[in-house]
Amino acid sequence: MGLFDIGSMSAEVKEYYDIVIIGAGPAGLTAAIYARRAGLTVLVIEKAIEGGAVTQTHIVENWPGEISIEGQILGQKFADHAKHFGAEIHYAFAQKVTAEREYKIVEFDNGSTVKCKVLIIATGTEPRKLGVPGESEFRGKGVTYCAACDGYLFKDKDVVVIGGGDSACDESHFLAKIVNSVTMIQNLPYLTAAKVLQERILNDPKIKVVTNHVVKEIRGNKKVEEIVITHNETNEETVIKTDGVFIYVGLLPKTEIVKDVVTMNDYGYIITDENMETNVPGIYAVGDIRIKSLRQIVTATADGAIAVEHAAKKYL
Amino acid sequence: MSLLAEKDKKYLEDLFEKELENNVKLIFFYDDDNAEYCDLESQLLDELRELSEKIVVEKYPKNSEKGSEYNIEFAPALLLTLEDSKDRGVRFYGVPSGHEFATLIQDIVTFGKDARPQLSEETVAKLMELDKPIRISVFVTPTCPYCPKAALTAHSLALASDKIIAEVIEANEISDLSEQFGVSSVPHIAVNRNPDKFFVGAFPEPQFLQQLLELSE
Ligand SMILES: Cc1cc2nc3c(=O)[nH]c(=O)nc-3n(C[C@H](O)[C@H](O)[C@H](O)COP(=O)(O)OP(=O)(O)OC[C@H]3O[C@@H](n4cnc5c(N)ncnc54)[C@H](O)[C@@H]3O)c2cc1C
Repeated sequence: MGLFDIGSMSAEVKEYYDIVIIGAGPAGLTAAIYARRAGLTVLVIEKAIEGGAVTQTHIVENWPGEISIEGQILGQKFADHAKHFGAEIHYAFAQKVTAEREYKIVEFDNGSTVKCKVLIIATGTEPRKLGVPGESEFRGKGVTYCAACDGYLFKDKDVVVIGGGDSACDESHFLAKIVNSVTMIQNLPYLTAAKVLQERILNDPKIKVVTNHVVKEIRGNKKVEEIVITHNETNEETVIKTDGVFIYVGLLPKTEIVKDVVTMNDYGYIITDENMETNVPGIYAVGDIRIKSLRQIVTATADGAIAVEHAAKKYL
Repeated sequence: MSLLAEKDKKYLEDLFEKELENNVKLIFFYDDDNAEYCDLESQLLDELRELSEKIVVEKYPKNSEKGSEYNIEFAPALLLTLEDSKDRGVRFYGVPSGHEFATLIQDIVTFGKDARPQLSEETVAKLMELDKPIRISVFVTPTCPYCPKAALTAHSLALASDKIIAEVIEANEISDLSEQFGVSSVPHIAVNRNPDKFFVGAFPEPQFLQQLLELSE
């Protein structure tokens, strides 16, 4: 991100587009690129900023062609690419989706609507809650899910990061540059992140890793002061003093707006065929939101391309 | 050295040319405290003014007659108004930088169309029923992707109701206030400057308004 970023400027919304895409992450933006290159009109709806979850990622090192790139910059590149080919991005919450025979209608949070022939759901995921006492009580009082947003508010303080996967390790590494100390709490006996990320963590003198412990409670007075963890086998309790708790324990699909429209599995991920089409003709789902075995940028972008290729032939 | 990149300047010049129908006034307040940030924002405003004849910039010390007239508490502060300089409750404390710069640009475009916000009829109807003033303090950071939406919603509500003041506060720069309010996760939206009355996160317009109204009871 530049010092002054004009990325998230809204396009004026027209009445109709061939394709409307909800979510400006890698999946949605790739769909937009393919749609524009096929000569279709396309609107992307985004409630936060363009780039999606990638923009909150510290460093990406598995997007082919970029050995190591800041998530922020990669997300911006995806968006610039889509806009270069004329994709329009509108900043609003998509609140409601209705499917008529030929047209799909999307309603924004200010009540206005847009119509399209093909709708692509690319809403991604959101952080999973830990589900322990104190978590919701101290949300906004030390409990957070976004190191990119809130990291600097904990400058020179002591924080804990819950989780041991890629995200937890990547964000701990980022936080260690700002805060006084990071203590990672992982429930398994080992970290599950990619080996390169693990090595980075283990070599960072500011990061301490505590494995084999689960979080029992987050406590404090007006704000977070300590967390209580218990050992998996011995059940022994340990109290760790901390100023902040960053939670990275997995993801949940963001399917709220289409839950009554398309079919999902028990976990809320959208079911599609190999062309990314849902059970409703003309509605597609791409990226992290659909059932798949690997949720990464490369698979998200591939989904976007496949969906548009199919939709353009079938409906447009 | 210029703060805005050449390609961004070109984009903004075209945007303002196309979108601004009337003059927009940016009233800026500076102080010796936070001088570094004040200088930065001052230069930013100079560069914006260069991009459109419809952008008018006025600058005053925070501790001045103008400062008291608009009840400016911190610097840097930025107020947006129409030509008449009438306070519409739309302000920034701290530099609107990073993702928040887009909020400023969006605000300028809105003011450039007679300061008419784009809110739903339900929202406008609920605002008409307000019988007491509400102050919305939206704490943000420049790196927060969810903040512009919260900031813009707050500013739109202020434009739709003369009972509402919406201040967007950069939490790192105005650190005394954000510490006093215990801000640890942004966007942090405090109501009526009461540290105990707040909500966190970006919400769609109806939910934002609902939480605001409940907390202002
Ligand atoms: C911390 C972290 C680190 C990661 N590191 C890597 C990595 O190194 N390499 C890698 O390949 N992958 C990584 N990933 C995973 C990668 O970010 C995702 O797989 C990818 O972003 C999925 O893309 P997507 O387009 O499906 O969804 P997302 O990127 O999640 O984008 C969805 C977008 O939809 C928007 N949206 C949701 N609901 C609505 C609505 N109702 N209205 C409007 N807009 C809406 C959201 O705001 C969001 O911008 C990481 C993820 C995280 C969280």
